[in-house]
Amino acid sequence: MTNDTGSHGGISRRDLFVGAGVAVGATAVTAASASAIAAETARIVATSVGDTTEPFYGPHQAGIRTDHQAHGTFAAFTLTDEANRNSLAGVMKVATIEASRLCKGQAGMSDTDPTLAGNPARLTITFGFGHGFFERAGLTGLTPAGFEKLPAFRIDELVPEYSGGDLLIHIGTDDPMTMAHALRHMSRVVASVAVPHYSQVGFVRANGSSPRGETPRNLMGQKDGTENPRDDVAFDSRVWAGSDAGWFEGGTQLVIRRIAMALDTWDLLGPSDKEAAIGRRLESGAPLTGNKEFDAPDFSASLDNGLPVIPDFSHIRRAHSPDEAFKILRRPLNYNDGFKPDGSPDAGLIFAAYTTNIATRFVPLQQRLADMDILNVWTTPIGSSEFVIPPGCLRGGYIGETLLD
Amino acid sequence: MFRKLIASGVAAVALIATLTACAAPVDDHAGHDHASALTVTDVWVKAVPDLGEMPMTGAFMVIENTSDEDLYITGGTDTSGITEMPLEAHEVVMDDSGEMVMQVVDGGIKIPAGESVQLMPGGYHIMYLMMMKPIAVGDTITFTLNVSDGSTLELSAIAMTLEGGVEEYVPAGEGMDG
Repeated sequence: MTNDTGSHGGISRRDLFVGAGVAVGATAVTAASASAIAAETARIVATSVGDTTEPFYGPHQAGIRTDHQAHGTFAAFTLTDEANRNSLAGVMKVATIEASRLCKGQAGMSDTDPTLAGNPARLTITFGFGHGFFERAGLTGLTPAGFEKLPAFRIDELVPEYSGGDLLIHIGTDDPMTMAHALRHMSRVVASVAVPHYSQVGFVRANGSSPRGETPRNLMGQKDGTENPRDDVAFDSRVWAGSDAGWFEGGTQLVIRRIAMALDTWDLLGPSDKEAAIGRRLESGAPLTGNKEFDAPDFSASLDNGLPVIPDFSHIRRAHSPDEAFKILRRPLNYNDGFKPDGSPDAGLIFAAYTTNIATRFVPLQQRLADMDILNVWTTPIGSSEFVIPPGCLRGGYIGETLLD
Repeated sequence: MFRKLIASGVAAVALIATLTACAAPVDDHAGHDHASALTVTDVWVKAVPDLGEMPMTGAFMVIENTSDEDLYITGGTDTSGITEMPLEAHEVVMDDSGEMVMQVVDGGIKIPAGESVQLMPGGYHIMYLMMMKPIAVGDTITFTLNVSDGSTLELSAIAMTLEGGVEEYVPAGEGMDG
């Protein structure tokens, strides 16, 4: 099986050719060939971000374990009344072919803008099925265990335009032009059964501006994802459905929450109050009881006055689960959509959590946060969606085949 | 210079793939014929989920001519029970009034020696007329193309949604003034 995370330690063909250029340069003697090599090397370096690809095919869909790309879109669609199991299978066959081509930097077969397809920039296209997908397909009996609509939480102020959705197309790439083209083309590809519902566009740092694999920061300045799974064992127990899951083996469940941040009032806090709210140092991401980002928090440590070092109201204490398997994968994006009419920033987090079971593993966590998390003062959930992310497929197969075929 | 090296390397790999494919079962998205010097990839057809009053569709693909003589696609035959009409090789041209219309290509679609030609919406395409049954998105249909060297190509095409690139059709014989 191919690993779906080609970014982990692979050497690209580009790198090999850069290496070949250097080797040839060492033996070439003429100034003309040396300058040609220099020019070509410069061109290769200049386009290295655009030329890099992530594998589309594999046991799991790409875009989940893949190192964060700089830009992302969660696009949700509503299925038409005519959509049924057959038409959905047909559309997923075509969508799989077209997505796999785009991720290689190749125009889609029916692409009306092929000139925009040449810079994949680590493009991934991930498909998800909402509750309505299983209903339209007549397959509610095959909904994975624990895939349930989240209960209403007291902190929620959800709006319909950022909630729900029957079909998800999640696009990630280091190039925003590539993202726009992929969304346009994939929207056309599914148009016979699905109409757009929402598009949530977000970002983390640009490719090359911070080390690959570094925990991204949110707009509150916090490192977001320190507790994420990082190896096969952790992904297998916390993210990917196992061999007992039938058609769903290799898939996962996704919760998308649009979290508005009141950054204007957050910024009234001093640094130590900000750190107490999260329970970590802002600079290093270390727990208040440690020195480094990945030090385990000591929730029993107390100050001289008897109060806990990591406050009871802090985010990491409320979010903490002692059971490793109950830890989710966080892969959020930031959004920053200008100012609201009152002048405050329209900004926040497109929180994306992946888990094997929403009901047993995500809902209890969300309930603890809703009950008491000081961050609730500055954050408000305004959108909420759940999607089943079906397993990946091999070339010749299609995403959703094990469910729909 | 390295771009050229890379490109020729890719071409060599592609040629090997073509030769190998001849011995293997025909892949879903490409067709090959032992007698033909043409390699066809990326074959798709416009889905027509509902037959309207004048049901027709177009098939599109990339055709590469690996021989040293120009070849022509002169038409074809549906093998999926979609139509009883012969498949026509079409082009889209501007008529006297400035409208883009499609019509049969006189002499067939030219695939120059050693070159590739893309059949695509708004350009060359293989035309299905008087369809008898719909084609849903994701369906695979089969057809045969006739090549001017006497060979035929057996192809399969996957059906996709197409909304743009639609031109007015001028039936064969009516000409550009029709």
